[in-house]
Amino acid sequence: MIKKRGLINNKLGQEEMIGFVLIIVIVTIIILVFLSFSLRKSQNEVVESYQVNGFIQSFLQYTSDCRNDLEYLSVQNLIFSCRDGGTCLDKRDVCKVLNSTLKDIVKESWRVGSGRPIQGYKLDILVNKEGMLMIKEGNETQNYEGSSQDFSRKGEDFEISVIIYY
Amino acid sequence: MMQIRFADYGKMKNKKSQLKIQQMAFMLMAVTLFFVLAGMFVLVYRFSQVKQSASVLEEQNSKLLVTKLANSPEFSCGNAFGSSRISCIDADKAMMLKRNIDKYTNFWGVASIEIRKVYPAGGNSTCTLLNYQNCSIIKVLSKNVNLLPASSNFVSLCKKDVYNEEVYDKCELAVFIVSSEDKRTK
Repeated sequence: MIKKRGLINNKLGQEEMIGFVLIIVIVTIIILVFLSFSLRKSQNEVVESYQVNGFIQSFLQYTSDCRNDLEYLSVQNLIFSCRDGGTCLDKRDVCKVLNSTLKDIVKESWRVGSGRPIQGYKLDILVNKEGMLMIKEGNETQNYEGSSQDFSRKGEDFEISVIIYY
Repeated sequence: MMQIRFADYGKMKNKKSQLKIQQMAFMLMAVTLFFVLAGMFVLVYRFSQVKQSASVLEEQNSKLLVTKLANSPEFSCGNAFGSSRISCIDADKAMMLKRNIDKYTNFWGVASIEIRKVYPAGGNSTCTLLNYQNCSIIKVLSKNVNLLPASSNFVSLCKKDVYNEEVYDKCELAVFIVSSEDKRTK
């Protein structure tokens, strides 16, 4: 009779211990889930789309060293002049000046390299949906930010788009 | 003999019950202590997160500010260079603002405002009124505090230049950099 009672007591004790362990395990899991959510920091983007848009707006205003009869041409005017087949006052081909100027601007603005956050870039100038100029460097990755700017002149549609890969 | 046995059995039962109550009390204390400690840990963690959130908000403020500050009257080109332009900073305005920055120290709520020329690259010389035409960095506002990671945006930095005695508008590519104070270290 006493032996049986001891057995029952033992069983009850075991159940209590299992309950206690269960509570600890559940609470630990809750704390771990809470921690994993809290520690998940919001990752800062390497490039933001507003930066790419600001880049387009800014380089279009850049004053090049190509001059016509009136003024030094901005990049935007270089694009128009290139489309018209113009030349600078010093007889240089406007399209060549546009190409070299844009290449230098993009190279200085978005430095590409294996140890750098920027992996590559692509700058496209389209006129009536046809390619006029394309500058490309580095690798095209899955992470990218881009922006584009449209404008028209003399019934022609110009589209300038920039994509930065990181 | 039988009576003594029953009395002993009653005492034993009493002792066992006491032991059970004691066991339960200890168990309750342990569980309470465990939850109190866990709660304290959560509270301490939450409190440390408040300061972190303040810094994140400051950073977001810098990001918003950097997109609109270039177009504010204190910096923007307005119509000084022919037509109205966006993301265009008047270098003359920026230099004058730098000179009178004491009046604007807390105007934007940031700790540092810098304009850095990107193209054509021109080294790391800081602009003063003496080397203004050939410099790279205009430090408009520079508080001596710990700074949060900066937010930046591309702008066009325009000024009037002279070539062969002829004045013309010269716009270069620059980066507008804004950073807020890191208040976590205080």
